[in-house]
Amino acid sequence: MALLSLNNIEVAYDQVFLAVRGVSIEVPERGLVALLGANGAGKSTVLKSISGLLKPERGAVNRGEITFDGRSILAIDPPDRVRLGIVHVLEGRRVFGHLTPRENLIAAATMHRDRGHVSALIDRMFQTFPRLAERAKAKAGYLSGGEQQMLAIARALMTEPRLLMLDEPSLGLAPFLVDEIFDIIRAINERDGVAVLLVEQNATAALEIAHSGYLIENGRILMGGTADVLRSNPDVADAYLGGHQKVDYHAVKHYRRRKRWLA
Amino acid sequence: MDWMLIAELAVNGVFVGLMYALVSLGMVLIYKTSGIANLAQGAIAMTGGYVAWVLLAGLGAPVWLAIPGALVGMFAFGMLIERVALRRMIGQPVIMTIMLTLGIEIMLRGLLPGVFGASVKRLDIGIPQAPLFVADLLINRATLIGGGISLVLIVASLIFFNSRFGVVMRAVADDQTASWSVGIRVERAIAVAWGLGAVAATAAGILWGSTQGVDWSLSLLLIKALAIAILGGLDSIGGVLIAGVIVGVAESLATGVVDPLVGGGTRDIVAAVIILATLLFKPHGLFGREHIERV
Ligand SMILES: Nc1ncnc2c1ncn2[C@@H]1O[C@H](COP(=O)(O)OP(=O)(O)OP(=O)(O)O)[C@@H](O)[C@H]1O
Ligand SMILES: [Mg+2]
Repeated sequence: MALLSLNNIEVAYDQVFLAVRGVSIEVPERGLVALLGANGAGKSTVLKSISGLLKPERGAVNRGEITFDGRSILAIDPPDRVRLGIVHVLEGRRVFGHLTPRENLIAAATMHRDRGHVSALIDRMFQTFPRLAERAKAKAGYLSGGEQQMLAIARALMTEPRLLMLDEPSLGLAPFLVDEIFDIIRAINERDGVAVLLVEQNATAALEIAHSGYLIENGRILMGGTADVLRSNPDVADAYLGGHQKVDYHAVKHYRRRKRWLA
Repeated sequence: MDWMLIAELAVNGVFVGLMYALVSLGMVLIYKTSGIANLAQGAIAMTGGYVAWVLLAGLGAPVWLAIPGALVGMFAFGMLIERVALRRMIGQPVIMTIMLTLGIEIMLRGLLPGVFGASVKRLDIGIPQAPLFVADLLINRATLIGGGISLVLIVASLIFFNSRFGVVMRAVADDQTASWSVGIRVERAIAVAWGLGAVAATAAGILWGSTQGVDWSLSLLLIKALAIAILGGLDSIGGVLIAGVIVGVAESLATGVVDPLVGGGTRDIVAAVIILATLLFKPHGLFGREHIERV
């Protein structure tokens, strides 16, 4: 049985605007699943429905079911979902800007009573993200974009999640930083066995580390499959993989021509 | 110019300022956590004074029981205000929430004197009123003790905000959604801030009540608290400490030095002038946290 499963969920903002309709996805235990789509497709909305963070934005899950570890979580409030093991790294990083990196990590440890355990976790985060250790005393608001993304991930890991959800961690980062962060995500998944649900527009980078993925458009899942299948699918290649690599216009043209011919 | 008189005014002003600062400390605690300027702080101080008076004079409790009793009761009262009034305002424009706190201020100002009668209640907590001489300076013993207690409470709050729970409260102030996302119980943190804000107000209400009696005028401490909070920067505890001393000394000097020249009445203008001048020339106050602009 999957660790997380969304069954046919529908999400509306302000009770009228349907942002997500009939979405079903699964994340297996220890899985690394990508959720790919363009701007406004509904990726962030899906993550918020899982973490419960729709409410502050006046959104709600109107239909469908979300189960985590076999139990329905829709009635559970966000802090308790974190205690079940679900953590959501928000789009745009959202670090606590006036707190130092260390304080950011401390703030995320309210579920751990044992102080020694908290310090051990902090030490582990500074080992995983040595750049943060160097800046441990600066205010987080002054860190670089890449450092802030690392801090956002480290902060989420302080909750000792079973499912780590990341909303566009590559946003606005230089390619070498994207590689560094994706290597870390892979390591967290493989070494610590944390399941990952990775939302990305950068499909190339995401499908390099994901085991499987889904494609979302206009609030609906268009297709799902293993990373290999998605990578080799011409629609995916055309719409998503092209956008972030050097576009091979020859190949694109060829593909268009073929499509017209088929139709 | 009589330098002894000025020194005396300044020293007394420092202690009075610390006692004012205790009221604004509560505003800062709440602002630091929830981003709301609590304009009910003066009336909460007054309510705390009334509660202590009821326990002491009404029920005949000893001082060592009445004061902690009032503080605990008012902690619950602060949490209650958050729970029944403020929590409903989540998602509403900030200005509406601030108006709500002003409404609470006005309601309490009318309600308590209405219930207990408008006469000034004597609140005797055992601080001797006889003045003290330190190196020829005449010092008001009640304000000396009150200022000392205020200083201790303000420093304790500084330490608290660097504790684990204090860090969580600062995180909530920074970004509520991000706080939820990592499992912080945001509503609880804000409720505790309101409880602590009410405790600081109550401590001030009792100290001021013991020097001037308990009646509705205790709620006028709001004006001084607001001046100090604005001058100090609304979210800086250190700022409250320094701004409190500045306001206290300025008021004291205005009363002692300027009043005789212009015929009186400058004392109550000082706070208003400080509020206006700060907002015009240094809107974030002396120690308000900078807005971090990089993304
Ligand atoms: N708080 C909100 N209120 C109303 N509509 C919203 C809200 N948040 C998102 N939407 C709408 O829901 C749809 C899906 O938005 P969502 O943020 O989930 O997209 P996304 O795939 O994450 O896009 P992006 O890649 O730009 O982050 C969009 O049409 C958006 O305008
Ligand atoms: Mg998004």
